[in-house]
Amino acid sequence: MELLVDSFLSAILLIFSLDTEVLSIVWVSLKVSGISTFFASLMGVPLGFLIAYGFFKGKRILIIFLNTMLALPTVVIGLFVYSFISRRSILGSLDLLYTQKAIVIGQIILILPVVATLTIAAISRIDERYRKTAMTLGANRWQTACVIFREARFGIVAAVIAAFGRVIAEVGISMMLGGNAKGFTRTMTTAMALEYDKGEFILAVALGIILLVLSFAINLIFNFFQGRTRA
Amino acid sequence: MLYVLSKITRKYGSRTVLDIPLMEIEKGKIYALLGPNGAGKTTLLNILGFLEVPTTGDILYRSKTVNFSESSLQNLRREVVMIDQHPILFTGTVYKNVEFGLKIRRISQKKRGIIIEETLDLVGMSAFVQAQAHRLSGGETQRVALARALAVSPEVLLCDEPTSNLDVENQTAIINTLKQINEQRKTTIMFTTHYMYQVSSLAHHTFFLDHCKLTATQAESFKLCR
Repeated sequence: MELLVDSFLSAILLIFSLDTEVLSIVWVSLKVSGISTFFASLMGVPLGFLIAYGFFKGKRILIIFLNTMLALPTVVIGLFVYSFISRRSILGSLDLLYTQKAIVIGQIILILPVVATLTIAAISRIDERYRKTAMTLGANRWQTACVIFREARFGIVAAVIAAFGRVIAEVGISMMLGGNAKGFTRTMTTAMALEYDKGEFILAVALGIILLVLSFAINLIFNFFQGRTRA
Repeated sequence: MLYVLSKITRKYGSRTVLDIPLMEIEKGKIYALLGPNGAGKTTLLNILGFLEVPTTGDILYRSKTVNFSESSLQNLRREVVMIDQHPILFTGTVYKNVEFGLKIRRISQKKRGIIIEETLDLVGMSAFVQAQAHRLSGGETQRVALARALAVSPEVLLCDEPTSNLDVENQTAIINTLKQINEQRKTTIMFTTHYMYQVSSLAHHTFFLDHCKLTATQAESFKLCR
């Protein structure tokens, strides 16, 4: 107990001292997670929208597939991407392994289903009368889609925020594809795992506190947008 | 004739929800559509509003056979506007809602402002122009939905129970507006209702639907209803 209290107090001091190592780790985490969320949203939101809005054969199967992908463990994604980017594999010449780009690729695979399924849920919740009203007022398919998108915007933003929350807390992909290189691919979660292995708890606790505060902030924003969706 | 429907049926799976051998609608008239719940009134309005495609049969609109391709229906929808039984307003202000159809038709901003002002005035909602649509009461929502439809000057206005769940004041306001636009703009109107006094005070003609079939028209329907 004493160890935890001491580590906690030292961690608080470390955070407020604006330690460069802590800042560097937080920056790498935010940068990598931000980029992967951006690209996953760029693909996942239109994908989710098309699936929810469109009528086509195999729609249910596609939704089941995406839902299944939600349960994909990060280590499986890590292994999968590794098999493509390791030195002797098909994309080995691109030298992606143990880079931030490799982490981004893995994280995109992780959260693309999150963004897509939550976008599908957000669009599906929109009252059918919006579509009918837009159509009867003369809107074409594109204009009708814009109306639906606009009405679902809070739900879609919530989907993006949830994806960011998922990705910033993951460890498997960052560890396997990033390699935990100091100042380069070391993220909050991989640094915490390393510090734990070393028996150095202060930095781990400090990063844990920052991660918790970030998660709290993300949840706060997520709840705000979820609330706006229900309003 | 504005509309001629011949041998129109609408089926959902094996269930027939509408079966109309012949129906004619004249331009500039007000039609009441009566019938019990589930008789097919809303389905008929959806078909007349080109929002739903009949399973079989032909529709002549302005003496031309309707082609049920999406692009063709889209052009026709610009002339026919339907107001739902429980209309829904888009997120945003009343102004933005009424502006929607006008923007789609690429009407200039200046002209849009004038039309919006006029139509909101017509339904007695001028004071609410900047109000948030989702904060309006049921009666106010119904009136804004009517203004939104009238703003695009439709040839045909289809109203699905336009006064259901409204107080007497709002009912009168809606009925008077429908009367006024029919007289002034010669807009063809079809409305569904369960209130006989609305039929007698507003409609030139009536149709009676029962169990998906058109069972009587005009004077016959009054006898049936009574």
